[in-house]
Amino acid sequence: MTTVTLDVRDVTKRFGEGDTAVTAVRDVSLAVEPGEVVLIMGPSGSGKTTLLSMMGALLRPSRGTIHLDGTELTALSEGRLPDIRLRRFGFIFQDFNLLSALSALENVALVGELAGLKPSVAREKATALLTGLGLSERLDFLPEKLSGGEKQRVAIARALINEPALILADEPTANLDSRIGHEIMHLLRGIAREQGRSVVIVSHDQRIRDIADRVLWLEDGQFKDMVTMATDPVCGMAVERERSVSAERDGETYWFCSNGCRAEFLGTMGRDGQDLSTRAKGLIHDAAARLVRSLGP
Amino acid sequence: MSTTLLLARRNLARNRIRLLVSVGGVALALSLTLALDAIYAGVANQLTTYIDRAGADIWVAQAGVRNLHMVASWLPDSVTAEVRSIDGVVEVTPILYSTDTIAAGEERAVAYVIGLPAGGAMGGPWDVVEGSALVRRGEIIVDRAFAEKAGVAIGDAVSVLGGEARIVGLSEGTASLVNSVAFVAFDDFRAMRGGAPVVSFVLVKLAAGAAPDAVAADIERRVVGVTAQPRAGISAEERRLVTDMSADIISIMNVIGFVVGLAVVALTVYVATLARRREYGVLKALGTRNRILYRVVLVQAVLSVAMGFLAGVAFTGLLALVIPRTGLDLELSISAASLAKVGSFAAVIAGLAAILPIRQISGLDPAIVFRRGAAI
Repeated sequence: MTTVTLDVRDVTKRFGEGDTAVTAVRDVSLAVEPGEVVLIMGPSGSGKTTLLSMMGALLRPSRGTIHLDGTELTALSEGRLPDIRLRRFGFIFQDFNLLSALSALENVALVGELAGLKPSVAREKATALLTGLGLSERLDFLPEKLSGGEKQRVAIARALINEPALILADEPTANLDSRIGHEIMHLLRGIAREQGRSVVIVSHDQRIRDIADRVLWLEDGQFKDMVTMATDPVCGMAVERERSVSAERDGETYWFCSNGCRAEFLGTMGRDGQDLSTRAKGLIHDAAARLVRSLGP
Repeated sequence: MSTTLLLARRNLARNRIRLLVSVGGVALALSLTLALDAIYAGVANQLTTYIDRAGADIWVAQAGVRNLHMVASWLPDSVTAEVRSIDGVVEVTPILYSTDTIAAGEERAVAYVIGLPAGGAMGGPWDVVEGSALVRRGEIIVDRAFAEKAGVAIGDAVSVLGGEARIVGLSEGTASLVNSVAFVAFDDFRAMRGGAPVVSFVLVKLAAGAAPDAVAADIERRVVGVTAQPRAGISAEERRLVTDMSADIISIMNVIGFVVGLAVVALTVYVATLARRREYGVLKALGTRNRILYRVVLVQAVLSVAMGFLAGVAFTGLLALVIPRTGLDLELSISAASLAKVGSFAAVIAGLAAILPIRQISGLDPAIVFRRGAAI
């Protein structure tokens, strides 16, 4: 039996009534497994934020159901939702949204305390999380004294302190430069893998496609084309499963950017015993030599 | 509660100027009320000083007269002997009393003028700092502050009760914002008032162990046409008179202080909440319950007001220390009742000031944190 952390079924969200009604999300279904990272992309106004808000129990769908670890969020009363958000969701925002009057440590510990941890336990846990994220020297810094990357790490620690089943990230790299953004995303993917937490990211950032297990394209409130990402085990490149070559080994499926990588992975060797990368280097060397000769003195 | 307190404290400390404005505003507003209360309490204290320090256990006056300020009391001379004969009375001193103006050159001041009989055991000045404590005919003892203001000294003449008297002593502690107390010879007083055989009050000293209330009641029963009150009773009546006279002014100033304090705290807490609206939205999105956020706002208001209250009390206390040293005949007396009243004002101000921000938070949609560029 497959375990599903988040199960979104036929969810529709309509704003307004009558002629002025706008359907922001239309019959969307999505299942996210433990440890899976799902990236939802799409143009502005496509319904990404509305969908994210509904998945985060911040907005009720007009129709459809959302289950988190088997609990039907859409059936819960308003009064129970804050507790669910506090204990079972981790939120990461584009603008980091740290509390400006609190230090990095307090920002993280506060959320633990709100969930019922003793202050000393919350501080201990927050310290461990921040230290694990490389911020041991920044515990007492106010957010204004932290760089963008550091702020987002604090936000990740805050999202993790209550050990949520699902982390929802809204444009987490939008205010970060490319290198830091990538670092943060790899960090998030590592956390998802190691701790078995599901991560749903809404982003415009094409550069983070490679960290996702699945990329979904939302347009006009519907998923148009589902793309599942995989990493080529030979060259490390991010590839779309549906558009790449694959191979099976030991009952597992692998996807490759090219037949060359696939062949190398499957252990196909040249007749002279050289492996594929050595042969490729030789071919490049020969081509370069020919190019130099053709240019002449 | 620690989370609430932490957030409230940090939110306040984050903007020190706003905090200073808030605390300063509350302090000034509450000081206004507190200082006015203290001034009136001080005036009441000063007004009753003569009653409290005259040395009498019971004051006997014309029937119906229950205080000194702005009253006239006339009793037949014979009342003195009648009172003396009552059980428990060991000593009596008849005095003459009138509110009059003392003039020295250009300086004129209202005074309680007391006519003291020669050898009277009660009713005289209790702290003569210069000259004699005894007045004979043609002599007067005045308050030192009045003498300084008028530029007169021992040996100089002042006008009183339509005649003149020479200063023989200067007393201390006999001046208030309203008036001072001057002492003249009993015979002079009587002569200047037409020589009628009357006294104003009979001051009574009781035997050890005698109960003032019981003896006063006995005097009233046995002496016709008098009102007899223990010292505490006449003193309380005098205070009540001041309170009644000042009640309207104090009420108005209380309202002004309350409204100013409320406006300052409400505005600063509202602005502080508005400035952190996004953060409150984030906290709601993260799962913080509304009641915790309400508490944060309320605690912020309470802390601001509490600091303002303490600053206001300290400021008024400082005024109470400094003002008497400036030469003003003004005493500020901060009473526990006044502190309790202003403290209650402060608590109500904090509660009311938190209402608007709480309404603002209650209407905040947590989903708004995902809306970029939204004015939250």
